[in-house]
Amino acid sequence: MKKKFNWYNLAFLSPGFIIFTIFLIIPLLLSFYYSFTNWNGLSANVKFTGLTNFRFLLKEPMFLDSLRITLVITALTTLLLNAVGIVCAAVLNQEGSFYKTGRTLIFIPAILSPVVASFIWAYMTQTNGGIINTLLGAVNIAPVDFYRSADSMVRMVSGVISWAALGFYTTIYIANLKSIPGEIYEAADIDGAGRLRQFFSLTIPMLRPAIIINTITALIWGLKQFDFVRVMVPGHIQTVTIYAIERAFEYNMFGYSSAVVIVLLLLTLFVSLIQMTIMNRKEIDY
Amino acid sequence: MIIKVKKTALITLLTLTLVLYILPLYTAIVNAFKNYESIIKTPLALPMPPILDNFARAFREAQILSLYGNSIVITLMSLVVIMFLASSMAFVFARSKKKIYRVLYIVVLSGMMIPVQNILIPSIKTLQVLKLLGTLPGLIFFYCGTYMSIAVFLYTEFMRTVPVSLEESASIDGASPFRIFFQIIFPLLRSCTASVVIFLGMWIWNDFLPPMYILGASRGRTITTGIYRAIGTYTTDWSLVFACVILASAPIVILYLFLQKQFQSGITAGSVKQ
Repeated sequence: MKKKFNWYNLAFLSPGFIIFTIFLIIPLLLSFYYSFTNWNGLSANVKFTGLTNFRFLLKEPMFLDSLRITLVITALTTLLLNAVGIVCAAVLNQEGSFYKTGRTLIFIPAILSPVVASFIWAYMTQTNGGIINTLLGAVNIAPVDFYRSADSMVRMVSGVISWAALGFYTTIYIANLKSIPGEIYEAADIDGAGRLRQFFSLTIPMLRPAIIINTITALIWGLKQFDFVRVMVPGHIQTVTIYAIERAFEYNMFGYSSAVVIVLLLLTLFVSLIQMTIMNRKEIDY
Repeated sequence: MIIKVKKTALITLLTLTLVLYILPLYTAIVNAFKNYESIIKTPLALPMPPILDNFARAFREAQILSLYGNSIVITLMSLVVIMFLASSMAFVFARSKKKIYRVLYIVVLSGMMIPVQNILIPSIKTLQVLKLLGTLPGLIFFYCGTYMSIAVFLYTEFMRTVPVSLEESASIDGASPFRIFFQIIFPLLRSCTASVVIFLGMWIWNDFLPPMYILGASRGRTITTGIYRAIGTYTTDWSLVFACVILASAPIVILYLFLQKQFQSGITAGSVKQ
């Protein structure tokens, strides 16, 4: 009886696990292998080159620049999404059709494709004829050239990325807000704490779980950025992913490109490691 | 006095945020129904009268119908395969206490931490060997690989909350594990399946990087890579841009407006455990 049941387990498990192995585990192992080779994506002739790729990328100015831009985008979006997300959640977590509409509206960009959001904002941010500059002109403010420098483009794209994802983060914060018992606010009212004081001394500490989850998600998401930058400012600024994809598919440097994405993998694993450390720590009880 | 200033500041901030959210969506919708001249001259005006030429052009130049076809096949097939394979794997992970299954579960879960970029580059090679590069099944299998972990995770955690008593009584009645799974367990997983379908469906429909390189330039495109290529070369052709933008988003936005609650809970469930 017992042995027979094991066969059933195997039958349930194997189809999924075989697909998982062929299309995830094997490519991942290959990714590590290729990062130590000069594979060009085409020829069967793959030469093992040891750490050459990694040594090269650490001195490659374009890679280092893409890494810097990725880290700036990650920092800006993580900060914006969490700070604005908490405020939006606190405001939108109220009864009434106005707030309900607000919750619906703020979530719409989160279901749009990044390609779509990028096209819309490419139009909005044009220096001549863009909606933002048209509106600024209407109140006599000089037009802003969002495309004037790499730093300016990084800031603009970070803003657009945050615009697109804000609904997502706000929704998670609202779910967390709903789990906070109302009594603690009543107690704070009786103690004479003002709204702002309650927000900082009660709401923010109670949002700890959502803050952890949202920060980790935003960090990992920021490190992997590709779509928005690729569609909005192609050829101007590069993230690590864009750099890697370009090396692979335009210069046929698949081995080197594999080494670049290994760096990305290590960065995301590092963030996940921090997450696990924080999550495993004993939760503070209120 | 200070409270009043704070309140005014908060209201200004709220209004600004709302404008930031309404304006781009409004602009995209109204300008999709205008010709090029009126988009340039009066970008914020309502389209009077609304014209459908841009959409006709989008269907002709971007071949929207074939893009829809590809995206629908890719999204639905990936979802069906992931749904069945992930839930049946989860059945073992949730019910069996043997060490080997725990280890395998952790192996599958660790897939959630792997960025798609790391899989994409070597997949060009593996898909080539399997003669799947540049085909729709190739992309479908790619999604099955990359999204299996998260689906298995959601199904397993959900299944652990489903009581075993039903299965036990069915097993005493002589039902085989296959029958138990398909007739008793799988229907009970409905709300978890809804989450998986909604957020994976949205990710796959909206995805950009993998379809661009796995399907390649000539052999069929998805809705996102298709409109990107149609627009890419002449980005200032705003009338075509907005029509494409609307057509690419319409299916998912309409679904969202009807199934708001499921969307928000499904997407949060998925992202929280990303």
